[in-house]
Amino acid sequence: MKTDRRPLVLISPALLWLFGLMVVPCLLILVVAFFRRGVYGGIEYTWTLENIALVFDPLYFGIFMKSAAIAGLAAGIACVLGYAAAYAIASMPRRHQPMLLFFAVLPFWSNYLVRSYAWIVLLNREGLIANLARWIGFDGELPKMLYTEPAVVIGLIYNYLPFVILSCYAPLSRLNPEIAEASRDLGASAWTTFRRITLPRTVVGIATGFVFVFVLSIGNFVTPALLGGGQFQMIGNLVYAQFLTANDWPFGAALSMVLIIIMLGLLLLQAVITERASGGKAYTDG
Amino acid sequence: MTYPLLSIQQVEKHFGNVSAVSGVTLDVQENEFFALLGASGSGKTTLLRMLAGFEALTAGDILLEGTSIAQLPPNRRPVNLMFQSYALFPHMNVAKNIAYGLEMDKLPKQEINAEVEKILDVVQLTQLAKRKPEQLSGGQRQRVALARALIKRPKVLLLDEPLGALDKKLRSDMQLELKRLQHEFGITFIMVTHDQEEALVMADRIAIMQDGGLLQVGTPNDIYERPQTRFAADFIGVMNFLPVTLSGDTLQAANGITITSTQTIDLPNGSAAVAAIRPERLHVDTQLDNNLAGDVVNIAYHGLDLLLHIKTTLSDKPIISRMTADVAERHCPTIGQQINLGWSAKDTRIFPA
Repeated sequence: MKTDRRPLVLISPALLWLFGLMVVPCLLILVVAFFRRGVYGGIEYTWTLENIALVFDPLYFGIFMKSAAIAGLAAGIACVLGYAAAYAIASMPRRHQPMLLFFAVLPFWSNYLVRSYAWIVLLNREGLIANLARWIGFDGELPKMLYTEPAVVIGLIYNYLPFVILSCYAPLSRLNPEIAEASRDLGASAWTTFRRITLPRTVVGIATGFVFVFVLSIGNFVTPALLGGGQFQMIGNLVYAQFLTANDWPFGAALSMVLIIIMLGLLLLQAVITERASGGKAYTDG
Repeated sequence: MTYPLLSIQQVEKHFGNVSAVSGVTLDVQENEFFALLGASGSGKTTLLRMLAGFEALTAGDILLEGTSIAQLPPNRRPVNLMFQSYALFPHMNVAKNIAYGLEMDKLPKQEINAEVEKILDVVQLTQLAKRKPEQLSGGQRQRVALARALIKRPKVLLLDEPLGALDKKLRSDMQLELKRLQHEFGITFIMVTHDQEEALVMADRIAIMQDGGLLQVGTPNDIYERPQTRFAADFIGVMNFLPVTLSGDTLQAANGITITSTQTIDLPNGSAAVAAIRPERLHVDTQLDNNLAGDVVNIAYHGLDLLLHIKTTLSDKPIISRMTADVAERHCPTIGQQINLGWSAKDTRIFPA
């Protein structure tokens, strides 16, 4: 019997691409992380666990924790804002929804750097917000906005919010509206209905959105560099510095490895939650 | 003064320029099994959703035991709705689904459990209490939805096409089952259906809806035997229509044949009208007030009875005559055979053309 080779042919280019440009470099990094740094940079091929140990040095581990805190805060706020927006879009008339979703993802169509620079224009000491405040009559000392931690959090939220809107919109739009009506009919208030019916049926979208924003934020180095102004470092900046300025590839590789492991763990967790919530099989309401 | 249990007064519902329900006035009595019967788009579901509280009224009022409920949100109305899609909570098992309404009433836990157990027994789902909705058959889901609404002991239970999703055999079983439960619980049922047979079998009274208004309200017998409009006559059951012209006290059909009716109609002499006769009122080979001959063009066998399609000179469409199984055995009708039909004057209904 002849097996159908077409699926294999069709998937090969993508698999090769993924293997050559994703799996192989990751494995290289994994290996490099266990070598020693050469005296003048470069790599000395002797095995060591020093780099891994250094990651857990309070100085660097602190940066890890701080990055996680910033990424967590950004992801949390993005989830609240994104869920609310997705909820509003999903409750609009069906024919308007594609248009509203298009507007929600519109920022994706412009360059990430340009979008980040736009925030510099906004938050600058002489920027739009400062001018606006002065224009409406505020003449006190404005707090420093640009090059602060909140500026980084705002930048991350702004850049990744569309992900959350899309991931929350998917389960919200699939919800059978009669299920919420049934809850109201049986005596539940609007809030109780949301808490006991709508939220449990759509928490998957929130989990997916959270993990997306968290994973993309914790490794981000552009936004902290532009909006944090080098005042503080996130783990992404640290990795960047090890490879490009400090020339310590093994330590950079070790940091990357730990970061990748954290991300993979979170993605796995998210996959498990999704699987649980959907009851292990595709099922539509009603 | 006593009030009807539910009083719908001049209720209107407009969606933009479209009028979905217009000028509906209707009283439903305690313990009644009431059916809203109509084709899709007749406004029956909109009316039901206004009773449940999911659609605001454009005008009019809804009174329950003399008190207006028109402004109350759905969760504050002593009325429950069984949804056409059943709308079971997919993330809760059967027992949790059924308990939900009582939890909202803040009943003590033991009492809720006792009530749930009782009603699970009534709808014969005790074995399936821990199953999720996705693991149930259509009929089982339907019973969960029913139990979930009934456990609240509403003053009125609203049912939106309750048997629509079931196959035919199960549907006829559930028709009787629903009637039994209605008796047992002593709750007023208002059912929306597009299935006229279902309405006739189950309801104490039926309201036929068309274009957002009530066409006729009455008992199944009223509606079937004395339809007030040609639409109602056509919509309920099978009806033969013969074009006629009024001439004094009689009806002139094609080919100079005269049809008699005990019913009179307020139309000037010479106007066009239609005479309507039910298939079971047409008797084969029996001389009655009206007699007619025709050729059998088709025979539809239904087991319980036969429907003969008979081509006559009186109408373009063949006339349908019902023959019970025992009569059919005596007559052995065959296609192409000429047959004589007779019917009484009291069985001829007249409608304006």
